[in-house]
Amino acid sequence: MISRRDAIKSLVITVGGSSLLSACGGRVVLDALTPNASPRFYSEREMAVLSRVSDLLLPRTETPGALDAQVPALLDQLMTEWASSETRDAHRTALTALDTRLQASSGGDFLEGPNAVAEQALAAVDGAAFAGEPVEGYRALKGLITQAYFATEAGAVDEQQWVAVPGRWDPCVDRS
Amino acid sequence: MRLTHRISLQGDVALADFDAIVIGSGMSGGWSAKELTERGLKVLVLERGPEIVPERDYTDRILPWDSPNLDRIPQDEIAEHYPKQYGGVAYAIKETTKHFWVKDDEHPYEEAEGTRYDWLRGYHTGGRSIMWSRQTYRLGPQDFEANQKEGIGVDWPVRYEDIAPWYDYVERFAGIAGNADGLSQLPDGVFQPAFALTCAEEDFKSRVESAFPGRNVIAARVAHLTAATEEQRALGRSNCRARNRCEHGCVYKAYFSSLNATLPAAQRTGNLTMVHNAIVQSLDYDPATARVTGVRVIDAETKQRRVYTARVVFLNASTIASAMILLQSTSETFTNGLANRSDQVGRNLMDHISGAGARGLMHGFDDKTVYGRRPGGIYIPRYANITETEKPYLRGFGYQGGARPISSTNGQIPGIGRAFKEAHRAPGPWSVSIGAFGEQLPSPDNRVTLHPSRRDQWGNPVAVLNVTYGDNERIMLEEARKDAIAMLEAAGCTDIRSPNVNLTRPGNRIHEMGSARMGRDPSTSVLNGRCQAHDVDNLFVTDGSFMASSACQNPSLTYMAFSARAADYAADLMADGTL
Repeated sequence: MISRRDAIKSLVITVGGSSLLSACGGRVVLDALTPNASPRFYSEREMAVLSRVSDLLLPRTETPGALDAQVPALLDQLMTEWASSETRDAHRTALTALDTRLQASSGGDFLEGPNAVAEQALAAVDGAAFAGEPVEGYRALKGLITQAYFATEAGAVDEQQWVAVPGRWDPCVDRS
Repeated sequence: MRLTHRISLQGDVALADFDAIVIGSGMSGGWSAKELTERGLKVLVLERGPEIVPERDYTDRILPWDSPNLDRIPQDEIAEHYPKQYGGVAYAIKETTKHFWVKDDEHPYEEAEGTRYDWLRGYHTGGRSIMWSRQTYRLGPQDFEANQKEGIGVDWPVRYEDIAPWYDYVERFAGIAGNADGLSQLPDGVFQPAFALTCAEEDFKSRVESAFPGRNVIAARVAHLTAATEEQRALGRSNCRARNRCEHGCVYKAYFSSLNATLPAAQRTGNLTMVHNAIVQSLDYDPATARVTGVRVIDAETKQRRVYTARVVFLNASTIASAMILLQSTSETFTNGLANRSDQVGRNLMDHISGAGARGLMHGFDDKTVYGRRPGGIYIPRYANITETEKPYLRGFGYQGGARPISSTNGQIPGIGRAFKEAHRAPGPWSVSIGAFGEQLPSPDNRVTLHPSRRDQWGNPVAVLNVTYGDNERIMLEEARKDAIAMLEAAGCTDIRSPNVNLTRPGNRIHEMGSARMGRDPSTSVLNGRCQAHDVDNLFVTDGSFMASSACQNPSLTYMAFSARAADYAADLMADGTL
């Protein structure tokens, strides 16, 4: 079993490369996924924070998580190819602010510390943001991560059971 | 299937003689072409945009994760090319559908000082029939009578009974899913099975109808095949698969568009010639015969000019563009535009009005959900000034809407981790929403004119749009908002939300119409009841231009029916030698 510290180092070094991190219930798993290019928009630090946040928000369960779905790489592409400079700046500012806040509330160990601590730190930010407290850019960032996840095959098909061609309309079925 | 035929050019003039030229290949032009070719006439269709080949250009089979950047158009590209289009219909303009919309910088228009206008459109085979919302309703008897009763605009020279058989005719071919609801103001037609109401919609319907006996909640009538006929299957069309990917085109050809239905029907007659990238500049008028003799075009790509000739011309360029072509066609006889002795060309420009509605939660259905993605919802036909009177406004509105389980993938729910992730699996309570589509009264001051000096890259004058709403529109929508809230309350909704009325910009409903109205008197109207120009016998205008009032129903079906009827009439006149 690879240690969390090693895993994080590996993530930081090969971020966007052939390895992505997925943490699930304290287990650290490195997956060999489709190789991507190095991040074009994010710094290594930003990529590491984004990856950690994505994984905590949408972890691997019985279905793939945000890292399995390569959400950080998707956001890197979005910021590079889709976003205007204004959007990029706002996004970067939000990510930096979130990093600062999470570092402070997790004893400076959000990236490398225990999962439980990181979860607690993120849950606190999330709770504040949804309680109406102004948490700069957090909800937009969470929205983008979530939208990107559910737009992937893993998020849409494996998690949400999205069917490309339903073939029929049934207006009232029992929820299973 | 490819619809392009090449015509050999001899210098500036293509010596191609046709029985008829149809200008525009969209919703109405496709019908003109189909009906005329099926009567054995040789028809040239001129389309100002490039060719759309379904097998190549429809993008409905691209899976969501195969579209780059969540299918979003880069923001800088939107700012440069699509500020108006995207500002009007962001939901439909995606990276994989942007080829169906014009670039604003290539096709500019101006708005009169102090006014706004959304001119939302696509230039290509099939026009907006590819991107339309497919809601399909007949006008009712009251709609053809209102102008005369109220002394507004001009009287329609047509009554419901005149057009009813043509509604039957176009519905049978196009394929409309709907129920026979037995409502006089929204007559039934030739229907294929409707997309059934959800359980919450059934409940909403029964509560609303019992609280408001003059109001009805019905299944939306949509131009989707649910029981394709042999005639439709012969054109390669099949039933809707409930994917809701319509803005991308449809490889099943399940929804009606001219590209899916009328143009292939015209094509198979062997009488259709179709030329793309042909921007019409003006129509030639011969005072000796009092006829249109030629159509002057410029090639969008090569900028080569040509003239096509025919015995009859059908103008189906869309209501703003058709008016502009007439205004651009000046002569000694018609100094202010062809067929414009009434000075009504370009005037009375109408759209529908939205921006009022309500949304709320419905309870008791948490153990139910839906399967498939229906291309429609519910419709509440107009009741104002029909079953309910003494309203503080004239005419009325219908509501489009629907009830479904709240399903969200935008991350705006609290929580993290497994609980957050799985919260998306079991979406919360059912939500119902309804939004009004109201009638706009005609006014001669609402108009399109030609810019006195500004030209586009082909040398054509740029449109200047000058449309404002009046008190009737504003009051109507305030009342529509109150009514919406009252109906949701009657349906037992909680958490009812209804933002203040935010009247849509003119043009935003993409139902522009009225710029060459029909009427009985040549001195006050442009067309007669057959969509034939009062002033020029061989000129017909059968797009939304002919509408003498807007009613509140989505108008495409009416354009189809009047196009088919006008083509039949023109073919009769050509057969008996009158034309």
